[in-house]
Amino acid sequence: MSTHSIEFEVNGQKRTVSVEAGRLLIDLLRYDCGLTGTKEGCSVGVCGACTVIVDGEMVSACLTPAVFIDGSSVTTVEGLADNGKLTPLQDAFIRKGGFQCGICTSGQLMSATSLLASNPHPSVDEIKAWMMGNLCRCTGYYQIVEAIQDAAEASA
Amino acid sequence: MTTFDYHEPATVAEALKLVKQYGDDAHLIAGGTNLVIMMRQGLVQPKHVIGMRKLRELRGIAPTAQGGIEIGALTTHREVERSAMVARFFPALCETFGHIATVRIRNQATIGGNVVHADPAQDPPPMLLALNAEIVIGSDGKTRTIPATEFFRDFFEVALEPGEMVTAIRIPPQPSGVKGTYVKFLPQSKDDYATVSVAAVLKLGKDGTCEDVRIGLGALGATPLRAPKTEAALKGKKLTDKVVADAAALVRDEVDPLDDIRGSAKYKREMARVWTERAIKSLLK
Amino acid sequence: MKFEHTIEMPAARDRVWSFVMDVPSVAKCVPGLEGLEDLGGDKYRATMKVRVGPIALSLGSDLSIVEKDQAAGRAVLAVDASDKRIGGAVKAQMTMQIAEKTPSTTQLTIVTDAQVLGRIGDFGQPIIRKKADQTVTEIAENMKKALTATSAT
Repeated sequence: MSTHSIEFEVNGQKRTVSVEAGRLLIDLLRYDCGLTGTKEGCSVGVCGACTVIVDGEMVSACLTPAVFIDGSSVTTVEGLADNGKLTPLQDAFIRKGGFQCGICTSGQLMSATSLLASNPHPSVDEIKAWMMGNLCRCTGYYQIVEAIQDAAEASA
Repeated sequence: MTTFDYHEPATVAEALKLVKQYGDDAHLIAGGTNLVIMMRQGLVQPKHVIGMRKLRELRGIAPTAQGGIEIGALTTHREVERSAMVARFFPALCETFGHIATVRIRNQATIGGNVVHADPAQDPPPMLLALNAEIVIGSDGKTRTIPATEFFRDFFEVALEPGEMVTAIRIPPQPSGVKGTYVKFLPQSKDDYATVSVAAVLKLGKDGTCEDVRIGLGALGATPLRAPKTEAALKGKKLTDKVVADAAALVRDEVDPLDDIRGSAKYKREMARVWTERAIKSLLK
Repeated sequence: MKFEHTIEMPAARDRVWSFVMDVPSVAKCVPGLEGLEDLGGDKYRATMKVRVGPIALSLGSDLSIVEKDQAAGRAVLAVDASDKRIGGAVKAQMTMQIAEKTPSTTQLTIVTDAQVLGRIGDFGQPIIRKKADQTVTEIAENMKKALTATSAT
């Protein structure tokens, strides 16, 4: 197995890691970087629990080879809050009850962050279409949508 | 994950040399959304994986001299979905790409990876067939182009010879006044593959008769299909409700669907008729 | 999965029976079958190479004729194959029944009862079914060609 030295930025911090060709981004983040906020759910890119943002776009960390982020900038859930100050979205998730067990929450937050960056005032239909790739077994989704709407209004 | 060596060629020429050199021992990786799954499951165990990340020249959408468009193989689904150029050229093509999985997958997966994977239930191929698209294939030393209808051979099998790779999808100019629609019938969850899908491209003459019609079908056979009998029953005719219904009924003989979790063969055959009829009718409004 | 294939062979019943019992000749009709070894006692070993798109299988196969009744024109072949690398197995029973139609044509019916297990089974039973169906059709066609060729000599 070939090994590759990759240089990337994660949550604003520059890192250089030596990875095997078969290393996946989810494992690089969780084990090599110690960022266990990103969760692995289905391992096939469907559930969205492993959603992270790479070079401004949300992707499935379980389907991304680590070598693909050489030279890239990655944001995980740990990189949302600014020195402990939660983003309006994170705050809205708490107030609106956008999570229960929390296993999908990292992915929900990353997808929603990506949505609001791309479309600051999405309609309910736009929210649902975008967030379709993030499954939740607890909330029934209503509070997730409300949290996102709340965050969108907060930044109006 | 089995052990393999990862290569990241800087140019298409370099990539083709590697493809030729390693042959059956190698697999190209574009977005990786499919290959990574198959490798994690041990279904595919290449000794060499050739990454296409650096092949910038294969990414992008450009007009062709003939008035059509050419989409580079490494263009992501999301890029096609949101392309202003594609929207001007044929809006239904943007919509087709917008039906694939979820935004997250569309950010990562590419049109080239999609056509090479050749799952007959995928969304782009029926529309590509309906638009008479061509697949541009490069190899060490030359390029060839074949119609999309000849590219898809069987389940997960395409007409690529050893040493070849898809570099672009070329769509010819469409007659003026032509309209299209892509219908994806999914009785289960919305991020899934279609149970059946219908791409319809229609041109009506001034007197309301059908001047040109092309129908692409997804999830209804071993490959994406055209529907020549149905098309022939519509061409040159005034598209009354009866003409459309009778023509759509012919679709049942043009398809050979599988019994699977998305529906029985019998159900899909009937849905092919229903959705072909609805797709054509929607273009008449 | 179960399927049935019927094909008309351009030869008399006895010739078709001899052909069906000639395992090396039948093996030549199976696409992807290589390295047939006769282990004696109606038992054989071979490797069957099958492809479904990017998935290439190399199935080490144990074949045995478990039943043969010339009078009834019936033979049963048991197949036990596995690909250790990818992690999957195929177990199948193929029942071949021949019946005279005319003095120079014979109907051959092949009833296949197969199970695909393990990783390859997970891949997509419907596609495997289609592929298996195509393969048995091809085997039957190849057998017909082989019989036609030899009867021409």
